Amino acid sequence: MSLTSTATEDRPEEGTTSTTGALVEFRGLRRAFGPTVALDGLDLTARPGELLALLGPSGCGKTTALRVLAGFEQPDSGEVLVDGEDITRVPANRRDAGMVFQSYSLFPHLNARDNVAFGLRVRKVSAAERRARAAELLDLVGLPEHGDRYPHQMSGGQQQRVALARALALRPRVLLLDEPLSALDAKVRLTLREEIRRLQLSLGITTIFVTHDQEEALSMADRVAVLNAGRLEQCAPPAELYERPATAFVAEFVGTMNRLAGRLTDGGQVEVAGVTLPVDGELPASREVEVLIRPENITATADPAGTATVVSASFFGSVTRVLLDLPGGGSVKSDVPSRDAGELVPGVRATVEPARRPVLVVPAPGSGA
Amino acid sequence: MAALTPTAAPAPGGTPRRARDPKAVRVRARRRPRVWRGAVLALAGLYFLVPLLSSFVFTVHTPGQGVSFAAYTGILSAEGFTRSLLLSLGLAAATILLALLLAVPALVGVRLGAPRLRPLVEIVCMLPLVVPPIALVTGVTTVLRWGPDHLSRTPLYQTFLAVQNESFPVVLVLAYTVLALPFVYRSLDAGLRAVDVPTLVEAARNCGASRLYVILRVILPNLRSSLAGASFLTLALVLGEYTIASLLGFRPFAVWIVSVSGAQARMSVAVSLLSLLITWALLLLLSRAGTRAASATPAPPAPSGTSASLTSPASGKE
Amino acid sequence: MPAPSSSAPGAADGTRRRRRAPRAWLGALPLLVFAALCFGLPVGALLYGAVTRDDPATGATALTGEHLQRSLQGPYLTSLAGSVELSALTAVIATLLGTLIAQAVVTSRGGALRNAVLTASGVLANFGGIPLAFAFVATLGISGVVTRLGHLDSAGWNLYSFTGLAVIYLYFLVPLMVLVSVPALDGLRPQWREAAQNAGATSWQFWRHVGLPVLAPSLLGGFVLLFGSAFAAHATAAALVGGSVPLVTLKIADALSGNVLVGQENVALALSLDMIVIAGLVMAVYLPLQRRSTRWLH
Repeated sequence: MSLTSTATEDRPEEGTTSTTGALVEFRGLRRAFGPTVALDGLDLTARPGELLALLGPSGCGKTTALRVLAGFEQPDSGEVLVDGEDITRVPANRRDAGMVFQSYSLFPHLNARDNVAFGLRVRKVSAAERRARAAELLDLVGLPEHGDRYPHQMSGGQQQRVALARALALRPRVLLLDEPLSALDAKVRLTLREEIRRLQLSLGITTIFVTHDQEEALSMADRVAVLNAGRLEQCAPPAELYERPATAFVAEFVGTMNRLAGRLTDGGQVEVAGVTLPVDGELPASREVEVLIRPENITATADPAGTATVVSASFFGSVTRVLLDLPGGGSVKSDVPSRDAGELVPGVRATVEPARRPVLVVPAPGSGA
Repeated sequence: MAALTPTAAPAPGGTPRRARDPKAVRVRARRRPRVWRGAVLALAGLYFLVPLLSSFVFTVHTPGQGVSFAAYTGILSAEGFTRSLLLSLGLAAATILLALLLAVPALVGVRLGAPRLRPLVEIVCMLPLVVPPIALVTGVTTVLRWGPDHLSRTPLYQTFLAVQNESFPVVLVLAYTVLALPFVYRSLDAGLRAVDVPTLVEAARNCGASRLYVILRVILPNLRSSLAGASFLTLALVLGEYTIASLLGFRPFAVWIVSVSGAQARMSVAVSLLSLLITWALLLLLSRAGTRAASATPAPPAPSGTSASLTSPASGKE
Repeated sequence: MPAPSSSAPGAADGTRRRRRAPRAWLGALPLLVFAALCFGLPVGALLYGAVTRDDPATGATALTGEHLQRSLQGPYLTSLAGSVELSALTAVIATLLGTLIAQAVVTSRGGALRNAVLTASGVLANFGGIPLAFAFVATLGISGVVTRLGHLDSAGWNLYSFTGLAVIYLYFLVPLMVLVSVPALDGLRPQWREAAQNAGATSWQFWRHVGLPVLAPSLLGGFVLLFGSAFAAHATAAALVGGSVPLVTLKIADALSGNVLVGQENVALALSLDMIVIAGLVMAVYLPLQRRSTRWLH
């Protein structure tokens, strides 16, 4: 469960590390801004040393949760615990949590070194020690030569690295990342993503990472918490989240999902696109349902006798995503290995078949359930 | 508690849920800046309102004689009022026209095809800030004195006399245009910064528009609020200008107010107050127009945008 | 003729012509010609007059430093010092008060208050000169309403003095500072405060280590601007104090309108030149500050 045990070997220097990962708990957090409810009873736990991603659409409360933990927002009710200790009323400047903001959070009048050493200066650490520690941290984030640069002389990616170093300077027990990569361009985002993860693993620091980018969340996190409308939908490791989404919201928010009309059989299975499949999770009350199936679990083959028609095909490298119109109306996406997709050009007839595995079903929109 | 949440909305700190101790501390901590803010704003309001109120009281109330609005009713019939006001308005209109006619083609042209000229145009437009009006007028007097001294036998002399024509002194329009250039430049430059002129021009040309059509129908409409801002500043500058006019011996509005102040102190205050109210009304009108423009295009919020364009060093009031 | 912009058309000719707008520089030509004639010419005349002397006997013109020297002596020097003193004092006070008001506005949540204050500042910053002088005569003058109600004259109050002028100047300088500092305070990103808090800083430490240093260029720039504005002011003082407070603008006006000895025009020109130099210095300080704060705050 925890990665802390493996963390200690490749530390650049003993002083750089945080003590150990802390346990962070949100209990029944509620926060409303006027009529908007940002957090509606959020319960969530981050285990010591893990990287927990908070994922959700904008306005789902993920940033509010992070800001409550940092002390920038007060919950209307509920509490935040770090290692079992209630810190809900601790002022923001006495919390032991380093934060990296979305962007532009570096102090513009200080160079990288002074930015990193800011917290030490506030604590009246001696100049020599500040300098040494800042150099060590800049080294850690891969910017050993940039100590004299000012924020406006650095790229967005470099600025975020400095911000990361600054957040780590006081050896916090928790690291908070508020969409730190969202303002960067795609390539930088990828490398920085990997570096943050590497650093987090080596320090063994409990890290909470807010993002609206599911790919980012799935690729970096130990566990991903999906939030919707101020509540936790599901918190699970990436693979489980993808394979066994607990709710329809998670199923559709994470990855791509087809919704196909289906019908429950008397045996508790579901009939969809000519095949009968077992149902995963609860059965809805109505018989008319919609079946959620991922594109990679639908095969499409060119077939002159088929009932579906290829509308378009997009090449994604190893797979090709084919969009097909179904005879009864509606359409379906299928991921076909690119080497098998040659015949699936627009206008071609095809047969479509779901893979034989359990599926998630939800009540059909008009079924009155 | 869940039931309480919706009702607790706009006023954090007001509900009984806040009774617990640590929360009370926080609420108190939040109140402190509010008290401070209120005090600052109240004192500032006092300082800025008292002169306006007292001016009004001064104009309508004479100790021992009671209230009378004679200071206001008498303005229109006062000797020289209409003439000086019309002169000032005429000067303002001419100045606005001249300043815009000079600045708009220059700024647009520089953006379209002569970027290397841009620093020069900027420096030329901003330099008047370094020359206070009183210094400019000493220079102007010196130049005007050359007329009789050196040019009396050349046709240029006629020009010198014409620009100093008492009924419409063109020399004032020229001097005011110089004073207005920095404000006009800033306002237009800010406006042009907000629109990507080359792209707009290319897009319009691509749709088949002629270059002149593009400037008149595409660029100028996009500059509406900065043109309005520039005009307002110029108008305020010309209406209030005293130094140059009085030292060159002309008698527009501000000089007139001073000339009547000896004999009719009340009226001079009344006119001063009115001129402030008129300025205020103009600015409100302008920011309203700006708001309308802003709602049509995603521009920065108009009132602050307009006021920001009024942020000008050494404004020409003197 | 030392007109600074007379070289402009030549410079324009040298501009590389771009395919798309071949004669765009022609648009700038009228402006440059106008500036050369109506600004360059008077300023040139001023410079020329300030450093030359006509010999009445021979009619010959010679370079001389005597006007400038005289302009820095005796009553002229006093007036320059008076102007600098008044401008510096009012600019310092207005910088502080304007920033305080701006901070009060920026931190308040109501958009209406903000709009009202900004619009009022826009008007009041442009409300100066003659009307302002008379509004204060009616308020704090000898028979002013507040003077009478508060019996200020017996307390030794005199509007027609250095202090009186300072009180009046603040009336347009403070709003000007509000206009200058609101955008600067707006530019202070909430992330900076939060990042500082996150690094353990108290509110006071935030202002000391981040807030004020970041704002410093804007506030200093604002101060310099106010100084220049007060320094150039003439009408208010002219309408109010006549000659009782020594100010350089009043001295120049006196010399120009022949209130003093004949032959003082050249000293007026030299004083004007002094003013231009001071205003130029002010700008030379202001522009780099402005550039820095733009880089930091936007």
